[in-house]
Amino acid sequence: ASAASKPPSALLRNPHPLENSWTFWFDSPSAKSKQAAWGSSIRPIYTFATVEEFWSIYNNIHHPSKLGVGADFHCFKYKIEPKWEDPICANGGKWTMTFQRNKSDTSWLYTLLAMIGEQFDHGDEICGAVVNVRNRQDKISIWTKNASNEAAQMSIGKQWKEFLDYNETIGFIFHEDAMKHERSAKNKYVI
Amino acid sequence: DETEHFIEGIAVTGKKYSRDFLLKFSEQCTDLPEGFEITADIAEVLMNPNFSSHVTERDS
Repeated sequence: ASAASKPPSALLRNPHPLENSWTFWFDSPSAKSKQAAWGSSIRPIYTFATVEEFWSIYNNIHHPSKLGVGADFHCFKYKIEPKWEDPICANGGKWTMTFQRNKSDTSWLYTLLAMIGEQFDHGDEICGAVVNVRNRQDKISIWTKNASNEAAQMSIGKQWKEFLDYNETIGFIFHEDAMKHERSAKNKYVI
Repeated sequence: DETEHFIEGIAVTGKKYSRDFLLKFSEQCTDLPEGFEITADIAEVLMNPNFSSHVTERDS
């Protein structure tokens, strides 16, 4: 009976640890235009390891609909950089969902919650997620480690669509292909 | 029912948290973490208002 009458602040004193630590990274449009080298303006914002820390940051930052066009906001496992060149990402790829501009906020939150709450059966395969805010649309991608592991990628893609109740077809692109062919890179898997 | 309790028990001990469980904590965590710092240029485009106490002063 005493447990039920605990004040809400008791929850804050007993933080809920996450399975993984995660880092938010931000790439700002204003910094981008001044710097030639891609990736040179990307910066880590904060690393969190508990449910409470996640909300403390999330509740104080702009959600995708309030970010400027060109912004990239990432949430990656601690010590994995959101770059193709990162050794853990190098052989990976990404699933991507597209949304009308300003319509990705809820999906972005649900993507983050599914990742940090370890809701994916193949969560170990996940590097992180990114939301790209662009003129015509918002894009959310989940980056994974071993692109050639088709079973794991298909499982992640299928579960992601279920979590977000997303009904369009999504495609998986290998980073290797994206590096070689840029925007003309073809989907290796679709679901 | 029993299955649900079982799943919830596993969820907590295995550090797996459902969306509904995580959402319960949102309203309790409105202040930035202690020690959070950010440079002014990023704060301007990323942060909601009222963050100013956490902005790092930089020489320019």
